[in-house]
Amino acid sequence: MRITLGDLVGSGSRAIKRYTGTLLAVFVVQTLVMLGTMLAMAMVLASVFSHLPIWDDAVDGDLVSLVICIKWAYTNLLACVGIGFGAVLLWSLASWFLAGGIYGVLAQRPEGRGETARTFGASGAATYLTYARLALCGLPGWLVVLFVFALCAGSAMPKVNYALTVFDLVGPLALTIVPAALVAHFFSTVIDYARVELTLRHDSHEPGVIATYLRTVVFVVKHPLSLVHNGLGWLAFAVITLGYGYLAQNRPMYGATGAITLFVIREGVALARWALRFGVLAGQVDLGGSRALPPRRVDVKAPAKSAS
Amino acid sequence: MLRRAFLVGFVMMVSLAACSREHGPPRDRGTPHLDKVPALRGGGAARSPRIANYKLDAKLDTQAHSITATETLTWTNTGQSQVDKLPFHLYMNAFKNDQSLFMRTTRGEMRGAHAADNAWGWIQIDSLQIGGVEMANQLTYPGAPNAPTDQTVAELPLQQPVQPGQTIEINFKFTEQLPEVFARSGYKGEFNMVGQWFPKIGVRVGAPGAERWECQPHSAFTEFFADFGVYDVSLTVPNTYVVAATGVLVAATESPGGTRTLTYHAEDVHDFAWMADPYMITKSGKATLEDGSTVIVRVVYRPEQESFASRHLQAAIGAIEKFSADYVPYPWSIMTVVDPPVDAASGAGGMEYPTLVTTEGDTVFARPGVRFPEFVTVHEVGHNWFQGMLASNEPVEAWMDEGVNEWADSHVMADLYGARTSVIDAFGFTAEYQALSGAVTEDPANIPVPIATAAYAFPDSASYGAATYSGTDRALTTLEHLVGTAKFMAAMKTYAKQWAFKHPTGRDLFAVLEKELGQNLDWFFGPVFEQVGGMRLAVRSAHCRPMHGARGWKGDGTQKKLVTEADAPDTGAWQCDVLVDNTGVIHIPIDVELQFADGSTQRVPWDDRGQLAWQMISVEHSSPLVAVKIDPDNKLALDVPVQHQYRLDGDGAASLRAGARIASWAQVLMQMVGP
Repeated sequence: MRITLGDLVGSGSRAIKRYTGTLLAVFVVQTLVMLGTMLAMAMVLASVFSHLPIWDDAVDGDLVSLVICIKWAYTNLLACVGIGFGAVLLWSLASWFLAGGIYGVLAQRPEGRGETARTFGASGAATYLTYARLALCGLPGWLVVLFVFALCAGSAMPKVNYALTVFDLVGPLALTIVPAALVAHFFSTVIDYARVELTLRHDSHEPGVIATYLRTVVFVVKHPLSLVHNGLGWLAFAVITLGYGYLAQNRPMYGATGAITLFVIREGVALARWALRFGVLAGQVDLGGSRALPPRRVDVKAPAKSAS
Repeated sequence: MLRRAFLVGFVMMVSLAACSREHGPPRDRGTPHLDKVPALRGGGAARSPRIANYKLDAKLDTQAHSITATETLTWTNTGQSQVDKLPFHLYMNAFKNDQSLFMRTTRGEMRGAHAADNAWGWIQIDSLQIGGVEMANQLTYPGAPNAPTDQTVAELPLQQPVQPGQTIEINFKFTEQLPEVFARSGYKGEFNMVGQWFPKIGVRVGAPGAERWECQPHSAFTEFFADFGVYDVSLTVPNTYVVAATGVLVAATESPGGTRTLTYHAEDVHDFAWMADPYMITKSGKATLEDGSTVIVRVVYRPEQESFASRHLQAAIGAIEKFSADYVPYPWSIMTVVDPPVDAASGAGGMEYPTLVTTEGDTVFARPGVRFPEFVTVHEVGHNWFQGMLASNEPVEAWMDEGVNEWADSHVMADLYGARTSVIDAFGFTAEYQALSGAVTEDPANIPVPIATAAYAFPDSASYGAATYSGTDRALTTLEHLVGTAKFMAAMKTYAKQWAFKHPTGRDLFAVLEKELGQNLDWFFGPVFEQVGGMRLAVRSAHCRPMHGARGWKGDGTQKKLVTEADAPDTGAWQCDVLVDNTGVIHIPIDVELQFADGSTQRVPWDDRGQLAWQMISVEHSSPLVAVKIDPDNKLALDVPVQHQYRLDGDGAASLRAGARIASWAQVLMQMVGP
C-alpha cells in the first residue's frame, strides 16, 4: 500500500496522543538543560551587572545602554554565548541517545509506562554509538552545505549590500539561503531515515553505518515524500518560531512577574515545536518501516582445520 | 510533479536574484536651464579676501574617465613677507601608486571601500607658465618623510619672489586620470565624482611677517585646507550626462560631437567639485531662512533611489534652515546634495564641498525611522558652516571641522527628528544621535592621542574617528551641559559670526568661548583637548550601617565596662559611606546624588580638580542608602556612564531575564540539532 503525506501526518498525531508522556519527559529534560543554561548565564551577568542599574535599562530595550553594557562587559557576554553553544553541543550529544530512544519507542510501540521507559532506555543505549558513527558519516554532507552556502553567499552578497528595497533583498537572500537550506534539508532527512533504519534493523540485521547512510541517500532520492514530509515539519517549526517573534515584538514584560510569564510563554512555544518534531519522527518511522530490508547478516563459521 | 515544482521554484529564485537596475541607454535630456541666481544669495560684496581665484576649463572623457584641462590661478600674497616658492596640491596623485603617502597610510582602504587593483588615478602637469614662461620642468616633489616618492605636493621655486600685496597669475595645462572611486573622488561605472582634481595652491599661515606655507602631502586622515576665492569653471561632457557642481550654472552651450559645455560660477568658496552621470535626476526644494530669503536645495540621484532622495532633501532643507538660524545664514544661493549610486556610495558618499555635498546610507536596512541617511546629509551640509565658511586647517586641526560639526549636527538632528528619536525610531528602539555615537565609539579614556592632534599624526582610523568626531562632540556637549545650552549656543553663534570666511584655530574658538561664557576654561580645555586619559568616574563602593553608641569595652582597670547592644541600641539613623573615584585626567565638578530607602535624595558636590582622585562621601541619614548616582543630570558626555549609577543591594532580575532570552534562542538551536 502506498503511504501518503496524510498517513504520515496521521501517524504523527497518533504518536503524540499515545506517547504524550515520552514527549513530555524529553521536553522536561530539554527544559532542565535550558534552565541550567539560563542560570549559568544569569550568574555570569549578575557578577558584573547586579549593582549597575544601567543594565536594567539595557535589558528593557534601551539601545544606548545596551551598546554601552556590551562594550563594557564584552567578555562576560561572550561567555554567555559560549555557555549557550556549550548547551547546544551537550544537547546534540545527548540527542543521539534521546533520538534512539524515541525511534525505538515509536517503532516497537510498547504498552504501559514502565515498558515504554525500558524500551526508550534500551533503544537509546543500543544505538548511541551507532548514531555517533552516523554523525561522523554525515559530516561530508554538512561540508557540502557549507560549500553551497559560501558559494551562493559570495555571488549574492554584493546584491544584498546594495539592496534598496525589500524586493531587492529577497532575491539575493533567497539565492544565498535557499540552495544551502535545500541541501541541508536533504542531508538532515537522510540522517533521520538512516537513524530509523539503524534502529528498526538493529536487532535483526546490524547493517553497517556507511552502507545504511548510502542506501538511505538512494531511498530519500527515490521517495521525495520523505523530503516533503520533513520539509513541512521544518516549515511549521519556522512559522511557530517566527510567529512568536513577531507577536512578541514591542511587548516587553518587565519585572520578575514579567520574566516568569515570559519564561512560561517561551516554553509553551518550545513545547509546540517539540511536539511537531515528535510527530515528524513518528511519520519517519512509518515511512522508514516500509523500506526494503537490508541484507540479513549471515554468520559464517570457518571449518576447523584438520591436522595433516 | 514535485520535481516540476522544485524546477519552477529554482527558476523563480534565480530570476529574482538576477534582477538588476537597468536604466536603458543614456539619452540627451536637453540643455539644462541656467540657474539665474547670483552665486552669493542676494548678491552683495565679497565675504572673503578672495586670495586664490581659479578659471578652469575641463573636458571629461567618460570612456577613459580622464580629464584634460587648463587652469588659470590668480593668487595674491596678502601676507607681509615675500614668497619665493609656490606649493601646489596635486591630490589626485594620492592614487598614483601604492607608494604615495595616502596609499601607504590607508593601505588602499577607506571607510569600508577598497582601492581597485588596476584603476589608479593621477594628475600630470603638462604645462605651467608664469608670464608666458614655461616652468613645468622646474617643479619639484618634496615627498613625505615616510613616502619619499609621494607626488601629492609639487613646489615651484620662483626666480622673482612675490612681494606682499602682489598678485601673480599661473597658467596650467594638465591631464588627469580618475581612479575607481574608493576615497571621495573617482568613477564607478558611468558615475564620475570629481573632487580635489586641479592643481591647488597652499595657504600662507603664521604671524604677519613670518608667514609660511601650509601645504601638507595628502595622507589617510588629512582633508583639505585652502584659501577662499572666485571660481569660473567650464566643464565639457557628453550631452547625455547630467552634471552637478559647486556654484551656479551661468552658461550652457551645445558643442560638436554630442558634447555640451556647462559653465559654473562660485564666489567665496575654497574648493570646486563636480559630478557627471548619465542617469541622475533631480529633486528640488527650498530652504527658507529667518529673514524670509530662500536657498534652492537639490538632490541629484538615480531613479531607483527616489524614496531616499526625498529623505535627503528634507534633511538638507532642515539642516540649512537650522544651521543658518544657529550660526550664520547660508551665504550661497544653491545647495546640491549628490546621492551617489549604491555601488559608489561608500567611496564617493559622505563628503563635503562648498555648495555641493555627497551623501550616502541608502540601503534597505535604513527604513524610515533609521535615520543614518538623513544624518549623513545633515553632517555634510553642516560642513558648509564648519569647513565651508569656518575654514579651519583640517590637516592640522581636523576636530575644528569634523568634531564641532558633529556636535552641531546632534542639535540639528534633535530639532528635526525629536530629541529622543533623532537617529533611530524603529523596530521598538529609539536613540538620540549623540548618545548612540558616544556609545559605539571608543571610550575617550582609551584613545592614545588627544583630540587636538594633527590629522596626519593619528595612529589609526579608529583613534582618529573616536577623538576627532566623537571626542570633540562629547567635549562640547559636556561644556554645553555645564554652562547651559542657551548660553553655549549663543557663544558658538558669536564664534561663527566672528570667524566666518576666515581660518580660525582651536585657540580662536577657546578664546571666544571663554569670553562669551565669562570664565577661564583652561582647566577644561587643557585636559580635554590636549591630554590623554579621558575621564573615568565611578562609584567604587558604597556601604551603610545602623548608627548606635560605642559598643565594646569602655574604661580601664576596675572602671572597665562592656557596653553591649542592649546598652547602646541602634539610634534609628544610618551611617553611609560612598567611595567615588576618577582614574582619568579630566576633572570636572559635578554632583553625586544619594538616594535613600525613604525616597529622599541628597546631592553632594564632587570636585577633584587639584585634589585626590578619590573621595569618601560619608553621610548620616534616617534611612539607609539604596543607590548612588554620579552626575544625576547627565551632564558628562565625556565619560562612559556605566558605573555612574550604583545600587547597594545587588539585583539579578535583569541578568536573569537576559539569560532567559539568550537561553531561549539556545533552546531553538537545541531543537534544531536534536529531538
